Amino acid sequence: MSSNAVSLYLDPQIRDWVLFPITLVMILVGILRHYVVVLLQSPPKEQTRAAIREQRAISRSQILRATAGHSPIPPTFYTSISQHLSSAFEAGTYLKDGPPKANTPSTPPNPITDPAAMDGMMAGMKTQMVMMVPQMVIMGWINFFFQGFVLIKLPFPLTLGFKSMLQRGIETPDMDVRWVSSLSWYFLNFFGLNGLYRLLLGNDNSADSSRDMTASPFAAPGGGAAANPVQDYPKLFKAETDNLAFAEGLHTWVGADVESRVLRKYRKLAPAY
Amino acid sequence: MSLQEALHKLASFRTNNTRDSQETFEKGLIVLRSAGPKTLGEEGWAFLEQLMLASVDVGRLDIADQCLKQLNDKFPVSPRVDVLRGILMEATQSSSTVLAYYDELLRINPSNAAIWKRRISVLRRLGKVEKAVEDLNEYLDTFYTDVEGWLELADIHSSCNQYTHALQALSHALLLTPQNPFTFLQFAETAYSSGDIPLALKMFLVVIDMNEGEDEDAIPMGISVRAWWGTKLCTRQLVVSSASHTSHSHTPVAKNIKLIDELATERVLTAYSGEQGIQARNLVSNWMSGR
Repeated sequence: MSSNAVSLYLDPQIRDWVLFPITLVMILVGILRHYVVVLLQSPPKEQTRAAIREQRAISRSQILRATAGHSPIPPTFYTSISQHLSSAFEAGTYLKDGPPKANTPSTPPNPITDPAAMDGMMAGMKTQMVMMVPQMVIMGWINFFFQGFVLIKLPFPLTLGFKSMLQRGIETPDMDVRWVSSLSWYFLNFFGLNGLYRLLLGNDNSADSSRDMTASPFAAPGGGAAANPVQDYPKLFKAETDNLAFAEGLHTWVGADVESRVLRKYRKLAPAY
Repeated sequence: MSLQEALHKLASFRTNNTRDSQETFEKGLIVLRSAGPKTLGEEGWAFLEQLMLASVDVGRLDIADQCLKQLNDKFPVSPRVDVLRGILMEATQSSSTVLAYYDELLRINPSNAAIWKRRISVLRRLGKVEKAVEDLNEYLDTFYTDVEGWLELADIHSSCNQYTHALQALSHALLLTPQNPFTFLQFAETAYSSGDIPLALKMFLVVIDMNEGEDEDAIPMGISVRAWWGTKLCTRQLVVSSASHTSHSHTPVAKNIKLIDELATERVLTAYSGEQGIQARNLVSNWMSGR
């Protein structure tokens, strides 16, 4: 912290005509983006009955397996369900397109050829575009008009390590780190405005662009219809049959020894331990 | 009754899934007359749906029609409104018209679960039980996690004395809600009806075992009275001749059957020890001693 007088005087006009406009433009663009994304969102695609059935077939066996250790149902019922499921998985009864032909080699589905998957990808790309374009325009605008501007002095001291973060675009080796350049101010806003958007637009807004930077365009944002990417169901079913076989070995019925438990609870039988 | 109070009550009915149609209808009418749903904001539409179902229940179809119209104006393509229209049609028009309407909706969107279920219920009411069961099986094959559907299937099978099928349906319901003692109780009673006494006994005991709040000092209440009665009915038969009872599910007869029988007798009698139960107690103990 230098004790001598302020080394740099900033014109108040910079504050009024550069600092505030950049901040305001970024906030407004974020809000605009939110509404554009809302408009662009296509309604979730309706699935056919067979597709739903295929998608949920795995959960049937998962539900069955989840309680296998303390199963609510007696062994005969359990094994009949379990064996029915595994034989159905093996035969491919639950597949959307019916059981596979014997001689066609099974190939994992190609996401490019599946129109349903393409739709999901397109939706991802669209939102990605909506966030990339305005950010590029703003950055170009700042770079063109305000390159090398010093906008603001932070009210607290910082170490030299922050220099590259706060003074991007100004190549001075000995300026105090507390001065923030225009481009750095843009980046600070870019990453820091999410809290404000959350306040203005609610929790699940799509205004924040920094979050989308990390997301790949192929994963659809915010769940939705394409949340589960294309899956190779025949392979999944095959793995599930093994799991079912394991779980069948683990199966114990809650009713197996229930009489002793009840008798102990009412102290008609000496405790086991 | 003030408007605020009525609104509050209706909202709590919605969250608790209470079907108190007469009261809902009366309170809803107050709201409808004094405010109108448009002033209620987003919540108003849920209220309209609630009022409409209640007014179909109490037979005020004019109000139901009014609600449906407003909902339809707001959400012209909503599948939820389609279901409501179907319900109103069930109340006013012939079953064949309703079935045709549901068929048409299902043709447009075959995966509309709510419509599918309504259609099954209409089929059952018409007495086309076979078709209903067939449809319900197909429905549950797609939407496996619908406990309501499995219970309905079990109910249909039980009503046709097909207890084995009912038990299979109930076992799926049990897998989906292993925390619900009432499903266990239903399973036990169905097993008892099917003649599988050892299985029924085990399941009754599971219900008792699940009821953690109760111990030897407590008086059995609610579900456990029924479960103890069931246990007693089973042990009464098993004590006499445990070997002669065959179990379709190959369930072994419980060990210590004598002890369980004694315990069940004691618990059932305890259940009748309260002030109201005291008159019935003699009757029960007579039944207990007479074999």
